[in-house]
Amino acid sequence: MAALTELQRLPGDWDGLAARARSLRRAKAAALYAFLIAVSLPIILPYFWLVTIAFSAKTGVADTMVLWRSTAVFVPTVIAFWLAAILAQNRRQMWLAITAIGLIATAAFALLIGPDLHPRNFIFLVEPDFASVVRSRSGVVRGAVQFPSVWKAFGNSLLIAGAQTVIVLTVASLAAYYLSRFQFPARAAMLRSLLVLHAFPVLTLIVPMFLMLYWMGLLDTLFGVILVLVAFELPFAVFIMKGFFDAVPWDIEMSALTDGASRRQAFLRVVLPQVRNGLLAIAVFTFIRGWEEYIFVFTFLIRNTNWTMSLYMYYVRDDVMGVDYGVVSAVGVFYLVPSLVLYLAAQRYLMQMSIGGVKG
Amino acid sequence: MAAIIEPNLQHRDSAGSVARRRTNFVIFLGPAIVLTAIFFMIPVLIDIAVSFTDLDRTLRFGKFTTEQYHKVFRGDPRLAQVIGLTLVYVFGTLAVFNVTFGLVLALTTTALNKISGGFFRGVWLLPRMSPSVLYILLWLWVINPSDAGLLNQFLMQTVGLAKPLDLLTSAPVALIIIANGFIGASMGMIIFTAAIRGIPEHLFYAAAVDGAGTLAQIQFITLPALRWPISFVTIYQTLSLLVSFEYILLLTKGGPFYDTTVYALYVYRRAFASGQYGYGAALALFLIVIGVAVALLGWRFFDLQRLLQRPRIEVH
Amino acid sequence: MARVEFRHVAKRFGDVEAVRDMNLTIEDGEFVALLGPSGCGKSTSLFMLAGIYLPNGGKLLFDGRVVNEVEARDRNVGIVFQSYALYPHMTVRDNILFPLRFKRVPREAALRRASAAASLVQVKDLLDRRPGELSGGQQQRVALARALVKEPQLLLLDEPLSNLDATLRLTMRTEIKALQKKLGITTILVTHDQIEATTMADRIICMRAGGIEQIGAPDDLYREPQSLFIAAFIGSPPINLIRGEAGDGTLRAGPVTFPFEGGAGAVTLGLRPEHLNFADAGLNGRIAQIEPMGREILYVIETDIGYARVLEHGSAAAYAAGEPVNVHFSPVDSLVFDTATERLIAGARAHPPMISR
Repeated sequence: MAALTELQRLPGDWDGLAARARSLRRAKAAALYAFLIAVSLPIILPYFWLVTIAFSAKTGVADTMVLWRSTAVFVPTVIAFWLAAILAQNRRQMWLAITAIGLIATAAFALLIGPDLHPRNFIFLVEPDFASVVRSRSGVVRGAVQFPSVWKAFGNSLLIAGAQTVIVLTVASLAAYYLSRFQFPARAAMLRSLLVLHAFPVLTLIVPMFLMLYWMGLLDTLFGVILVLVAFELPFAVFIMKGFFDAVPWDIEMSALTDGASRRQAFLRVVLPQVRNGLLAIAVFTFIRGWEEYIFVFTFLIRNTNWTMSLYMYYVRDDVMGVDYGVVSAVGVFYLVPSLVLYLAAQRYLMQMSIGGVKG
Repeated sequence: MAAIIEPNLQHRDSAGSVARRRTNFVIFLGPAIVLTAIFFMIPVLIDIAVSFTDLDRTLRFGKFTTEQYHKVFRGDPRLAQVIGLTLVYVFGTLAVFNVTFGLVLALTTTALNKISGGFFRGVWLLPRMSPSVLYILLWLWVINPSDAGLLNQFLMQTVGLAKPLDLLTSAPVALIIIANGFIGASMGMIIFTAAIRGIPEHLFYAAAVDGAGTLAQIQFITLPALRWPISFVTIYQTLSLLVSFEYILLLTKGGPFYDTTVYALYVYRRAFASGQYGYGAALALFLIVIGVAVALLGWRFFDLQRLLQRPRIEVH
Repeated sequence: MARVEFRHVAKRFGDVEAVRDMNLTIEDGEFVALLGPSGCGKSTSLFMLAGIYLPNGGKLLFDGRVVNEVEARDRNVGIVFQSYALYPHMTVRDNILFPLRFKRVPREAALRRASAAASLVQVKDLLDRRPGELSGGQQQRVALARALVKEPQLLLLDEPLSNLDATLRLTMRTEIKALQKKLGITTILVTHDQIEATTMADRIICMRAGGIEQIGAPDDLYREPQSLFIAAFIGSPPINLIRGEAGDGTLRAGPVTFPFEGGAGAVTLGLRPEHLNFADAGLNGRIAQIEPMGREILYVIETDIGYARVLEHGSAAAYAAGEPVNVHFSPVDSLVFDTATERLIAGARAHPPMISR
C-alpha cells in the first residue's frame, strides 16, 4: 500500500472543483425551494383567499378583482422570498431581505386592497337570521334552512369539546396510571387489548352506535354525543398516557411511599405532576377533535338547536354559498381560527405524542 | 426503601389491603372499563346481531334471517363496483400521496434549515389542522364548475381555457384521491421527518467524506433507516383509508351516483340514506373484522416488552 | 501526500466563535494532535479539513491550493469519527467497500483493496458481520479500514480512543502509531486526553477557546509550557500552582518565602508533583493523604500555603499520615508565570525555602 497507485492521483483542478461545488450548492437550494413553493402554493392560496374574501366580498357579487389583486401581491412576494433564501450570503442578510419584502408586501396590500376591506360579512355574528337578510339583499328567494344563532352553535361545540376533554383526561389518566403502575391478574390481557383498541377504526361502529343511541333514547342529545366521543377517544388517550406514566422514574413513587403516602396520594401529589406534558397533549388533542367533529354529530344530532360549529358551517355553505361567498368565508374564518390557534399553541406536545411507543 | 418484592400473587395481604386493592381497581379502571364495554364491545355485538335481522327504516325487528349476507355475497350488483373503487382509492392515495409524497416532503423539508423546513411542513399541515368541513369548503370553491370556480378562473386567465371544467363529474375519483391525499401526505411527512431527524448526523458526514453525493446519501443512509416507518405508515394508513369517508361524503356525497362511493361510505348510505340498517350492519361487520386484523398485525411495530413491563411496586 | 495549511481560518456558529484566526502548517507525513478541552474548536477544525464545515473566513490549503469550497467527497480525505459512524445496515465488508463505490473501482479490484485494508487493521475474519455485532475496538478498526481503503492523502481521527476501555486504548495507541509510520499518511488526531496526544503525535497543537495556545513536540510542552493553561493541562497528576509576589530576590506566597530570581510583580509558581521530593530541608508540611497508585504513590501535603501534591516512585509508603515532612525541588524544575498575562517568564527560577523541621 506504500506505492502510488491510480487512486492516489491527487485531484489537480482544485479551483474547478470548488467552483463546481459552489454552483451545485446554489442549484440544489434553488431547486428545493422552487419545488416546495410550487407544491405549497395550491394549499396556501385557498386559505389566503378565504381570509381575503371574508373581509372584502360584497353580497351577491363574486368580486374577483379583489381576489386577483391580492394574488398579484401575494405571488411576487413568495417569489421574492424564494430569491432571498437562495441568494442571501448569511443569516443576517436573509432576515433583512425578508423584513424588507414583508414591509413592501404589506404596504402594497394595504394600498391595493385596503379600501375594499370591510367587516360586513360577519353579519352572522349579530344577526341570527342573516340568511334571510342575505337572500333578500340579492333578490334570491330560496333556502329552507332555519339557522340558529351562531353563538348557540359555538356554545354547543364548546360544550361538547370541553366536556369530552375533561372526561377523557380524568378517565384516561386514572386508567393509564393503573395499567402502568399496578400489578393485577388480567393486566397482560388488558394491555394487549389496549393495543388493539387504540388503533381501532371507530368509524366502522357508526351504524350500531346510531341504533344503540336510539334505543337508549340518547339520539339527538348533546349528552349522547359526548359519551360516544369520549368512549371512542378513550383507548388512544389511555395508550398515550400510559406511555407518559411509564416514563416516570420508579424512585420518585417509591420514596413517596416510604415518606408515608398511600398509592393514591402518591398518584395525586407526586406522579401526576410529572406527566403534565402528557396531560396537556391529550387535553389539546381531544379538544381539537371535539371541536372539529363532523360525521358523528351529523349522524347523531338533528335539531338545529343542537347544531355544533361544524354543522353550522356545513349548512351555511350548503344554503348560502351560491348566493354570498363573503358570508360563507366569514363563517369559515370564524370556525377556523380557534382550531389554528390551538394547534399552534400545542404543536410541541402533539409532536411528542405521534410517535410514542413505536420501535424502529 | 419501598419493596421490590418478587412477584408472588398468592401473597397473603391483610384484609384491609385486599379491600383497598379492590377499591383501587374500581376507582382507577372502573370508568374506563365501563365506557369501553358499553361503547365498544356492545356496539360490536349489536352489529353482529342486527346483521342477522331485517332491520329497516321502520327500526322494528321483523325476523332473524341471513338474507343480508346473501345480499352481500350474491344479491348486490353494486357491491363489486364499490369494492373495486375502494381498492383503487386506497392504494392510489396510499402509494402516491401518503407514502411517496410524504417521503418527498420529509426529505425536502429536512434538507432546508430548520425554520424554512418547519414553515413548509406547517403549510402542509394546514389541511389536517383545519376542520374537515372547512377544508372541503375550500375544495368545493376551487373546483366549482361555474366561471366562479377558482381553478377555472385560474386556468381561463393563464392557459386560456375555453369552457369551465366540471371536475366533480369528469374526474371525481381523482378528486377524492387528491383531496384525501393532501391529508395523508402530511401524516407521512410528520412520521418520516421524525425518523430522519433520528438518524445520527455523523453517518451523513462519514458518507460525504466517503464520496457520497446527496442522492447516494438518501439511498444508502436515509432510506434504510426509514424501513420501519414506511411499513408503519403503510399498514396504519391503509386501515385509515379503508374506513374513513368523511372527506368523500363532504366533497362528492358519493356521487355522481355511486362513482365515488367507497365501501365505508356505501355502508353509511345503505344504512342511513336507504334505511337498510340490517344490510348496513352486515357490510360493516367485514370492516370491523379487517380493523381488528390490522390492529393485531400492527402489534409487530410495538415494543411489547416495554409496553408490558412489570410494575416495580407490589403494595397497594 | 498532503501538506496542510490553515491561514487565518475562522468558523462561527450563529453568535458563537468556534475557531478564530487559526494559523497552522502541517507537513507532509506528519502525525499531529489537536489537543484541548471540549469546546476549544479542535473538532470544528478537523471537520473543516474534511469538508463537512465551510470556513467563514481565511483559507484552507492542501499542497498550496485553496480548498475551502471543495466538497468533502472530492478531497480524498479519510476520517474516523468518535462514534465510528459505521453504516448499521451494511456488513463490515460493505462498509469498507463503500468509498470505493464512488471511485468507480471495478468489483474485483475493490474486493482486493477491501481485503488488504481489513488485514491491515486485523478485521479480516469479521468481514461478514454487522456493526451491531462488533465490540467497540473492532468497530473502530473497521472505521479505520474504511478511512484508509481509498488511500487518502489525509487521515483525520476524531477522539478515536475515548470510547475504548483502558487496555484497548493502550494497544490501539501503538497500532495506530505503527500504521501511520508504515503508511506515511499525514495524520491529524483530535483529543482532549493529553496522554493520547503525547504518546502518539510528533507535534502537539494545544488549543483553547477557538485559538492555538502553543505548538510543539510533546517534550517541549511538558518542559517549557508557554502559558499557565498548558502547564496545567499537560502533565498528570496536575501541576501545583502557587501564587505570590516576587521582588528583591524573593517570592512571597503567604507566610512562606522562596528565594527567587528573574522577575518581579505578581507571579505564579508551578511545581510538578514528580519534581518534588522529600528531604531534610525545604517547604514544611504534614502528610494529609496517601494515594498508592501501584507503581507510584501520590502524597497530598498540607503546607502553610495550601495543599501540594508530591509523586514518588515505589509501592510502599515511606511516610505515614500526619508525619511532618520537608518538600524539596530543584530550581531548574520550577516554572514561573506572570499571574496577569499567564505567560511563562523564561529564565525565572525559584528555590525551595531551606527550613528544616
